[in-house]
Amino acid sequence: MFTPRTDRRIKQVVLWGLGSLLTAALVTYFGMHNRVTDVGYRPQQPVPFSHKLHVGELGIKCVYCHAGVERSAHSPVPTVSTCMGCHLVVKAESPRLALVRQAYENGTPLEWRRVHKLPDYVHFNHARHIRAGIDCASCHGPVERMGVVSQVAPLSMGWCLDCHRNPERYIIPAREISGIFTGLRANGQTVQLAQSTPVTNPPYGMWSTPVDTPEIAGVPMPKLPGRGPENCSSCHY
Amino acid sequence: MRRLRWWHIPLGIAAVAFAVFWVLVLSGQKTWFSEQPPLMIIPDMDDQFRVDPQEASRFFADRRSFRTPPEHTVPRNASAYPFGQADVAEAEKRFPTAPIPATPFVLALGKNRYEAFCQPCHGPEGKGDGTIVQRGFVQPPDLTRPEARAYSDGRIFHVISAGQNIMPSYAGKLTEPERWAIVHYIRKLQQSAMTAAAVPAGAGALSQVNKRGEGQ
Ligand code: HEC
Ligand code: HEC
Ligand code: HEC
Ligand code: HEC
Ligand code: HEC
Ligand code: HEC
Repeated sequence: MFTPRTDRRIKQVVLWGLGSLLTAALVTYFGMHNRVTDVGYRPQQPVPFSHKLHVGELGIKCVYCHAGVERSAHSPVPTVSTCMGCHLVVKAESPRLALVRQAYENGTPLEWRRVHKLPDYVHFNHARHIRAGIDCASCHGPVERMGVVSQVAPLSMGWCLDCHRNPERYIIPAREISGIFTGLRANGQTVQLAQSTPVTNPPYGMWSTPVDTPEIAGVPMPKLPGRGPENCSSCHY
Repeated sequence: MRRLRWWHIPLGIAAVAFAVFWVLVLSGQKTWFSEQPPLMIIPDMDDQFRVDPQEASRFFADRRSFRTPPEHTVPRNASAYPFGQADVAEAEKRFPTAPIPATPFVLALGKNRYEAFCQPCHGPEGKGDGTIVQRGFVQPPDLTRPEARAYSDGRIFHVISAGQNIMPSYAGKLTEPERWAIVHYIRKLQQSAMTAAAVPAGAGALSQVNKRGEGQ
């Protein structure tokens, strides 16, 4: 139909076109995955705070600073008064802590740069996972060895669902260094508080339910949690 | 066979690099760290116009999203500790004894909370030899010495809730039941220190209890 020359041209154009389309599709599908775009995000923080020093060397447990992670959806990043509890005395003159002292004296918050961020249409709850005995390291990696926190897990929907389907592949049971209380040694005991708290009586939902602890040779075994949910409305509501 | 040309060499290198890149990416290996915020081609509704916890406010001039509650109000489910550091006597009158019993559950909770919140300064056995003290913090008094053993439950509760001199208050971090659980656990530490002192070192199984504190 065409001259051989035009024929070759058309074949070339079609082949190159298909090839580049395929490449573009591959690049967007795999290259735009959270695993590539989000993992490894490691912003420099305004204060050179090091988890490696505070947790790894000094042995301060995660809940000392991130207190409340067992009770709330979000894990609180500590206020400057938490830092100053120690740093009024330790390294009180250090220039690296100048910003912390300044914030403490002015009563202003210190603006840390956020590392982990889910889209606003996803609802993630720390308390639920922590109470199931899932260690921070399952999702945040070995923070106690990080000088600067970086994102280790993709935080994609596939990642959440993968763990909900195969928890045994992802879950690291609560470790000592996290300091999270899982009620493992409950042995059916409960804390009754409604009648007994004198100042106020906060509804004390947490830990008020007994936990079965199968014991092996006197050592309580971690209660392996059930699976997480897969229905859309548990995460998107 | 076509002739090898000079530009075949950089092309070959680029092809190999490309292949290695994809092998790494597809195998899920993290290959680099980045200080740049994650790339977002289509922002969807990722960042909605609302304030999330711990996010800076776009509305208030001082950018604080966590507003100070009005005076004389307490958030729901929270309790304000009513006494200042100096009101030891009033606190002791208000809380003569611990309102929760020392069940095994409470002791386990107390141990866990003590190890997370007190151990950095007071040490694993309350001797005042925590890691922070070794790095230059003021050494706290031994919690197992006779005077401390004579403290009422209410007094220890008061120190945890209001702080004492340089020791910060833990009322904001520990719920009331958790603080009482710690009081019970400190009693247990005091008891085991007393038993350990009564038995000469190296005598029988009880010396095991004191093993970690032996250095002092
Ligand atoms: C001495 C206090 C302290 C302790 C102990 C501590 N952290 Fe942190 N953590 C911070 C501060 C301050 C930040 C914010 C600055 C930063 O990102 O480095 C932070 C940030 C983080 C972040 C990143 C939050 C974000 O922006 O997404 C994670 C995850 C985290 N910590 C996990 C842990 C884990 C897990 C442990 C226990 C192994 C732990 N932390 C122990 C103070 C502490
Ligand atoms: C439980 C006590 C404790 C808390 C809480 C604490 N630190 Fe520290 N921090 C220490 C100790 C002890 C050192 C010193 C270690 C050493 O001797 O090098 C230190 C060292 C540092 C240093 C290095 C200082 C220098 O000049 O080398 C920085 C920066 C720092 N801390 C920031 C923070 C921040 C920010 C917070 C609040 C999120 C915080 N710390 C909370 C105990 C604490
Ligand atoms: C099941 C996975 C998982 C576990 C376990 C987990 N985290 Fe997180 N963490 C996340 C996710 C997902 C986010 C992002 C939340 C968001 O953007 O809403 C996050 C965010 C954070 C943040 C940033 C502030 C926030 O909540 O938005 C801190 C700090 C943090 N985690 C600390 C911890 C600590 C400390 C522990 C252990 C006690 C822990 N996390 C356990 C998944 C987890
Ligand atoms: C390390 C494994 C793991 C990861 C990763 C994980 N989850 Fe879960 N999740 C669980 C387990 C296990 C449970 C069930 C907890 C229990 O038994 O109480 C659960 C429970 C939940 C629940 C509670 C459902 C209900 O019925 O109330 C929600 C919501 C949830 N996960 C959301 C998420 C989201 C969103 C992510 C991703 C950002 C995520 N999870 C990542 C293990 C995981
Ligand atoms: C375990 C929690 C969980 C469940 C269950 C879940 N999702 Fe998601 N979903 C997520 C997370 C996390 C993201 C954000 C992923 C990201 O940051 O790229 C997301 C993102 C999405 C997006 C936006 C994708 C994008 O990048 O534009 C859609 C659409 C979506 N989910 C639909 C669904 C539907 C439909 C279901 C039910 C079949 C469902 N989700 C169930 C956690 C969940
Ligand atoms: C940052 C270090 C630090 C932490 C953490 C800490 N304390 Fe203290 N504590 C001190 C210091 C220092 C003193 C001595 C205060 C003074 O000079 O009167 C003290 C004093 C005390 C006293 C009074 C002792 C006496 O004989 O007067 C009690 C009781 C006590 N602490 C209990 C606790 C409990 C319980 C916790 C855990 C919730 C805790 N402390 C956490 C540093 C700390």
